[in-house]
Amino acid sequence: MIDIVLENWSPIVFIVVLLLNVLVAYWLYSMGNPEYKKTKYSGDPFISGNRSPKDVKKLHVAGDNLFWGFKKALKRYYDPLIDGHTGRLNDYMIWVVITLAVVLIYLYLVV
Amino acid sequence: MTLDIIIENSPTFILAIPLLFAFLTAVLGWVSEKIGEILFGIGLALTVFFVGVMSFEVLTAESWFYVFGAESPSPENITSFFRITFIADGFAVLATITISITAVAAGIYSYSFMKDESGLNKFYTLFLLTLAGVNGMVLTGDLFNLFVWFEVTSVASCALIAFKNYRGRSVEAALKYMVLSTVGGLVVLFSIGLLYGQHGVLNYALLREGIAGSFTFLDKLALGLLAVVFAMKASSVPMHMWAPDAYGEAPGSVTPFIAVTSLGSLFVLFRLFFGVFSVGLDVAILGSLLIVLGALSMIVGVSMALVQSDLKRLIAYLSVSQVGYMMTAIGVGLATLRSGEGFGDLAMQGGLFHMLNDGVYKALLFLSAVAVIHTTDIRSLNDLGGLAHKMPYTTFFFLFGALSIAGIPPTSGFSSKLLIYKSVYLYSPILAIIALVVSIITFAIVAKAFFNAFLGPDQSLMKRRISKPMLWGMGILTVVLIVFTLFPNVVVAEIVDPAVEGLIGSLEGVLP
Repeated sequence: MIDIVLENWSPIVFIVVLLLNVLVAYWLYSMGNPEYKKTKYSGDPFISGNRSPKDVKKLHVAGDNLFWGFKKALKRYYDPLIDGHTGRLNDYMIWVVITLAVVLIYLYLVV
Repeated sequence: MTLDIIIENSPTFILAIPLLFAFLTAVLGWVSEKIGEILFGIGLALTVFFVGVMSFEVLTAESWFYVFGAESPSPENITSFFRITFIADGFAVLATITISITAVAAGIYSYSFMKDESGLNKFYTLFLLTLAGVNGMVLTGDLFNLFVWFEVTSVASCALIAFKNYRGRSVEAALKYMVLSTVGGLVVLFSIGLLYGQHGVLNYALLREGIAGSFTFLDKLALGLLAVVFAMKASSVPMHMWAPDAYGEAPGSVTPFIAVTSLGSLFVLFRLFFGVFSVGLDVAILGSLLIVLGALSMIVGVSMALVQSDLKRLIAYLSVSQVGYMMTAIGVGLATLRSGEGFGDLAMQGGLFHMLNDGVYKALLFLSAVAVIHTTDIRSLNDLGGLAHKMPYTTFFFLFGALSIAGIPPTSGFSSKLLIYKSVYLYSPILAIIALVVSIITFAIVAKAFFNAFLGPDQSLMKRRISKPMLWGMGILTVVLIVFTLFPNVVVAEIVDPAVEGLIGSLEGVLP
């Protein structure tokens, strides 16, 4: 029988601690001002002090806008990587042939 | 007596039942699609039942080799070269359980998801053929039989991808898959010819004996060819490009099932490396081959997922990245197989537990993404948003799958990745760093997908509701994942450890 490393990791204990944290958070929340009244702008997103747009679609950050900085910073990595994924079957086959050649050369030289 | 016969022959039933019901569904389905649906359900249920029977016997009693074409299917009759063998061991159990869980969820989901399509008897036939094919690939102990099941899987899954043939993109994806699979099949056949020419046998155990005696240049060539083909079918980088096309364009309900056929190829790759070729050459060389492909898959898969805005393609690239984890972990296990390093076994545990996890959470992610697309007719994350208001169950299912694939505690994805991080670190800290960074980026990607699709104000994007069978399909996978999450030690001890022992010790001492 193989030793089990997971003996030091208990998801059930983790979940119990997580629930305790939730309880504490709820207790803190319940200590808030009960007389608070919602205003016209309550719940609106904060957009650097600008009024939130009426079109709900403009309130949501679309997929391509997230991580744009990451992608821009790694442009030199991403450009060839994306260009390599051409969607052409010929290129798929070329990669299979290249991999095959590399693996066979590796096995021939090393074994 | 009858029970003994059922148990002893269960590996055969696992293949015979779906083949029989595929035929019946095709024939009787012409009479009425309802009959086809019922036959499909019975065939799927019986197959899963026999997987359960085989698994119970292997996990509670012993592994066995099933020999076809002999007076009795006992291992003593293995010596004849033309007798096909099936291997019913812990590794086959892990593989068939993974396949069965996904098949059940995808099957139930399909009942409702596909109801508006025509020719459903063909769909169910293809589903059952794919099930038989992929189970055959992981159960067989014979190279030529492997080729047969490889072809059955390829043809049936290719037709499944192209099932919605009124969509040009589906047909294009199927064409790419078909060309690659056909070339792969020919290469496998050529490799089998090389090995048969050298050793005069096709059986894994006999071949292992032959390779241990003399490992020739042609054996080396066959090893390279088989490794590349099965790595390609497992969607390993740099031969992964077909996967986002196929997963993205297959009918939504069977996308996870197509993905699990890739896992089937990975199971075969590991079986061949450990069971057949590990005796012929330095295992560190074989292991490093897997590690390099695995590390590349992790990095490139996650990098490409980050720039996707199509929800299904995003998950497809993440699945390429997860294949990398398994290849790396099993590669470390293989490289240290004979060195006596304890972390090799840990890496194997992590890798195989991750395969089991991956089959389930990937299916859950795909099915919940398909539910989103089905409900809104929108695939792009740029146009989605606020669905949590109207789809609370799907939101929970997607979130749970997303946390699992990212390896966030306490999910089972974390448990398997923990084993991988620890063992891989002891082998090479750089690999562990790559695995950790890839996990962090994976979390960022699924957080983006979850935020884009489900959070934010309600945009009234829902065009139709998802049906109960679709929810049940996702619900089954979620329940399985919750069990894996709460009791990882039990899963590792009862399912993963026997699989590790089966893989490491596979085929040793089989011959009389």
